[in-house]
Amino acid sequence: MERMIVSMQDPDMGIKMRNQRLLITVIPHAMTGNDIVEWLIQKYGISEEESLHLGNLIVKHGYIYPLKDPRSLVLRADESPYRFQTPYFWTSTKWPATELDYAIYLAKKNIRKQGDLVEHEKDNYNLLHKRINHTWDFVVMQAREQLRAAKQRRKGDRIVIDCQEQAYWLVNRPPPGALNVLEQGPERRNCHTTQVQLTQNMDYYKREIEYCRKAMARTRVKSSICLEGYIKFSEQYMPHDPIMSGCLPSNPWITDDTTYWAMNAPTVPTPTKLRVERWGFNFRELLTDPLGRAQFLDSLKKEFSAENLSFWEACEELRYGEQSRIPEIVDSIYQQFLAPGATRWVNIDSNTMGRTLEGIKTPHRYVMDDAQMHIYMLMKKDSYPRFLKSELYKNLLAEAVIPPETKKRVFPFMRKQRHSSPSPALFLSAGDAEERSRGPMAAPVPEEES
Amino acid sequence: MVKEECKALLDALNKVTACYRHMVLTIGGTSDSQNLREELKKTRQKAQELAVANRNKLTTVLKDKTVSKEDKAEFERLWVIFSTCLEILEIDMRRALELGHEFPLNVPKKHLIQTGMSGGTSGVAARAMSVQNMKYEAEHNIDVVDLKDLENEINQVGEMMYEMEMKVNVPQWTVEAKQDPGAELKSTISVGASSIGMISVEENKSFCDISKVLAGIIFAAVLIIAIVLAVCVVKLS
Repeated sequence: MERMIVSMQDPDMGIKMRNQRLLITVIPHAMTGNDIVEWLIQKYGISEEESLHLGNLIVKHGYIYPLKDPRSLVLRADESPYRFQTPYFWTSTKWPATELDYAIYLAKKNIRKQGDLVEHEKDNYNLLHKRINHTWDFVVMQAREQLRAAKQRRKGDRIVIDCQEQAYWLVNRPPPGALNVLEQGPERRNCHTTQVQLTQNMDYYKREIEYCRKAMARTRVKSSICLEGYIKFSEQYMPHDPIMSGCLPSNPWITDDTTYWAMNAPTVPTPTKLRVERWGFNFRELLTDPLGRAQFLDSLKKEFSAENLSFWEACEELRYGEQSRIPEIVDSIYQQFLAPGATRWVNIDSNTMGRTLEGIKTPHRYVMDDAQMHIYMLMKKDSYPRFLKSELYKNLLAEAVIPPETKKRVFPFMRKQRHSSPSPALFLSAGDAEERSRGPMAAPVPEEES
Repeated sequence: MVKEECKALLDALNKVTACYRHMVLTIGGTSDSQNLREELKKTRQKAQELAVANRNKLTTVLKDKTVSKEDKAEFERLWVIFSTCLEILEIDMRRALELGHEFPLNVPKKHLIQTGMSGGTSGVAARAMSVQNMKYEAEHNIDVVDLKDLENEINQVGEMMYEMEMKVNVPQWTVEAKQDPGAELKSTISVGASSIGMISVEENKSFCDISKVLAGIIFAAVLIIAIVLAVCVVKLS
């Protein structure tokens, strides 16, 4: 916005200025709302509506303020006068308006208007008095001094300064109920760097060099490889995504039919087909699904390697469990799985076993990490592919249920319309196809009937 | 005795800070000029001298263990006022630096914002420097040259504030203000208040009445002339 304002000042191409006449004083540099709108249209080649909106934004952010009706920061495309705001008062996230400044402004206004402040200003005044009570004396002193300093200027300038300050505080402390144009999301206030670097000395350059060096040494993956992986993932998961491919029987949020949730509950006697297919994608999917884990455990029992999964589960409990129970859990794991001659001894290589046994002497949350990772990889490389090829899995796939799409009710006045919700992504492209097919559709139907 | 000196120094610093703020307001506007930049520089330097003097005086007093309890509380209050004043000064100096960078004066295509100010700030500067008239003796490109000095001075002020924080341990929240809300109304500059009050009243009326006022004046003038003529006719006849 600031560049726009600066370009408006251009003596040849900028806005034409007029003079504002008060009773006796003449103050230059006023312009009408119409001027602003026309200039914007001319400079940027935009429509009048857009230029009005743009001008409105500029006024709301405080770069131009109205002279006639200062409390309403709106751009009117008629003869109402406006003026530019001085750069000190430009809206900037780097110099947020401080409580102290506001207090000084209110004190000044109090003096000028002999205590006749607007309601919300009175409230703010009292609030500030409580909040920054320790510097209140300074506030009063500074307010008086600023008024005295202002007296040294010409009357026209004094009026202009008052208007400027008023406009600034209308933008920065809007009255309750007015739009606060400066409301920013949590990310936007993060302006630590100033445009002007104070003394670019040795330290600054050293830091810059370090930063650049580290940036160069970062490992990077080629974007082609990343994107390939991303595409594969998307393709694999697309049929499973309820938004992209619709969900059967129906989307509970739309049709109030909770069958979908009931069928996909953590423990059901018959899982859905999609769910069983998903177990085949990767090992993690299988383990995170409780039903899948149970089936996997069954298959491991048949192979006499069920202790691996139990060990893994116990380690998970250790990692995410309560701090107070850690020594107890570590001990139970040792007794059950690691001690020589234990009932469910797991097969870990000697190095890892050595390290784990050392670590058990000082038990903490992550003491079993190495062993757990070893067993996990073992299951993943060995038992998991066997599971996928096994009869058990194939039976599961065959028995898995595809939930039927609930039919559209014939009677339209039934309260609950239960039909499968089409995926919104398909809806847009199908919309055109529908319109095109509506014509020829009418023709085949009478043919069938006859 | 020491208290009065401290107070006087603090008042002076306060005055100079207010004038500085006033002048920084006009950077980038139409009343910006080389003179303004020079005034800024002089005011700033004066402010720094006063700040150093203030600091020295207050630190010696606060370090003095023989001071009584009420006096100590009073000096702590003055200290808090002093540090707030210095904060405001530093902020204004930083803004002056940034605005100075954005609005250089010696470029062929100057783009000063037409803010409606037409007068100069020499009065304000004279008040700050406590002189009758300001003398301008700086070179032609002070606006650019001065920025480097400004940077250094900002750093100095920053360091001074840091030192102050470290050396003197005055918790700000224990200080209570002496003035109640609305205290400034009691001893206001009556002349100043009324004149500025009048301006705002004028402002409100002027926009609606400007043409009406002119018409009224013309009508009144015509009426007076008519009355005068009638009186003359009566007298002569």
